[in-house]
Amino acid sequence: MNTLTSISTLAEVRAVSSPSMARRGFNALWRWPGKEATLLFMGLLLAWQLGATFFTSAANSLLPAPLRVAQALWESLPELWVGTWSSLLILLPGYLAAVVTGVVAGLWVATTPGLRRAFFPFARVVAPVPPTVYIPYAIALLPTFLLSAMFVVFIGAFWPIFQSAAAGALTVEGRYRDNARVLGLTHREYLCKVVFPASLPHIFSGMAVGLAFAFILLTVAELFGANAGLGRFVQYYADFADYPRMVAGILYTGLVTFLSLSLLEYIRHRALFWLK
Amino acid sequence: MNPATLTLDAVAFAYNDVPILDDFRLTVGEGEFLCLLGPSGSGKSTLLRLLAGLESPQHGAIRWFGQPIAGPGIDRGVVFQDYSLFPWFSVADNIALAIAKAHPALTKARRQKLAREYLAQVGLEDAADKYPLELSGGMRQRGAIARALALGSPMLLMDEPFGALDTLNRARLQDLLLTVWQSATPRKTILFVTHDIDEALYLGDRVAVLGTAPAQVIADYPVPFDRPRDRRPLFTSTQFHQLRETIADALSADTLAHLH
Repeated sequence: MNTLTSISTLAEVRAVSSPSMARRGFNALWRWPGKEATLLFMGLLLAWQLGATFFTSAANSLLPAPLRVAQALWESLPELWVGTWSSLLILLPGYLAAVVTGVVAGLWVATTPGLRRAFFPFARVVAPVPPTVYIPYAIALLPTFLLSAMFVVFIGAFWPIFQSAAAGALTVEGRYRDNARVLGLTHREYLCKVVFPASLPHIFSGMAVGLAFAFILLTVAELFGANAGLGRFVQYYADFADYPRMVAGILYTGLVTFLSLSLLEYIRHRALFWLK
Repeated sequence: MNPATLTLDAVAFAYNDVPILDDFRLTVGEGEFLCLLGPSGSGKSTLLRLLAGLESPQHGAIRWFGQPIAGPGIDRGVVFQDYSLFPWFSVADNIALAIAKAHPALTKARRQKLAREYLAQVGLEDAADKYPLELSGGMRQRGAIARALALGSPMLLMDEPFGALDTLNRARLQDLLLTVWQSATPRKTILFVTHDIDEALYLGDRVAVLGTAPAQVIADYPVPFDRPRDRRPLFTSTQFHQLRETIADALSADTLAHLH
């Protein structure tokens, strides 16, 4: 009798606890902040698979199925890895040169009235020129493809960084200026210890725009004359109508861009810890 | 009376054609703790900015040890209401920056050591490596006082430095300021802007009451209480109450005069 009761109690416990656990799991899933984004990705993947299934003509489809692309991606990984380094070798020097010169020039021009009067109208005319139009000229002008690609990446990233650094320097709060003057800081000290850190929030947003531009220009430049690289990979397999590899290259390039921007965002977060 | 270190003679200042100060006269003695008391918008802060050299008077003369003030200088330390420290430097680095300007010959390590000594003076030694964002308002103002002290200036200009603090913190920082000021020889000349009558009477050797813009000194009272002052007996004394009422009357008479 005693055992029976305990068994029935156990059963009751299980009967009560199991739906509540399921509900708890469901609630946790419902509250999970990433659920919408995950649903969207799964929906798109499903649509892609369905599209590939219904709109294809056997062998070589313009819309390869997700699994075929995944397989192509896996097979191309060594080649993509080499391409990544080849691309970064162009992107990093160009971009870093743009960061250094853009920040120094932006802060300097914005805090010097004479330079401001000379360069701001100039920047307003030159900055909006789409940097892609420089590519043929840069290739003709500079001795190697590497140099011309770096130059184009530099030009593309320079203007957004220059403009945001200048905007940051122009909007340094009056209270910081007052403190610098009260402490008797020299102009140079004021630039390095006050204007530069105070402009960092602006500078980082300019750097993010500049990095996105740098990737666009990098891949476009590679279409013109590279032997390796991410843009080159996509162009090459498109020429051979190898669409699984081409789509894999597109996805991979997107991933590299996303990771680079995420890294920049992480650095921004670390550098601006003193912000409210 | 101590010799006059600071004289303002017929000083006029207008902002966008609105007169803030007009024919303003004031004399401050060496080592004097002068409280400038006035309602908001009475031009107190403008007056302090003129003394700091952050603004220039359009008429009249401000003389500091006989010389006209021509811009900011580290011979005058300034404490603003709530923004004296740079948020991107740690508290110790903020103080070290002031020390570097006051003693350019010191090594980096000596500056840091000295910064910690100044922070210890204001009870902030444990927060030396923190950033302003991590500090309470009261702690930030302690840091601001430490920075002004680190400049080693003979004059301190303080613009409602405790105005944003709660009552308890305000009282603590008032006591701290008096202790630091009284323990130094020679004593610094302090110009302390406030709109709090009790604060002015507790801190000052003298209270100059400002009328609303264009600002004038409408009344000037010596504060006769002995130092060191003890807050409780002082605040309950008849003499304190009488002086307080007199000043309050002067302020409200000025306010009423401007309503008509």
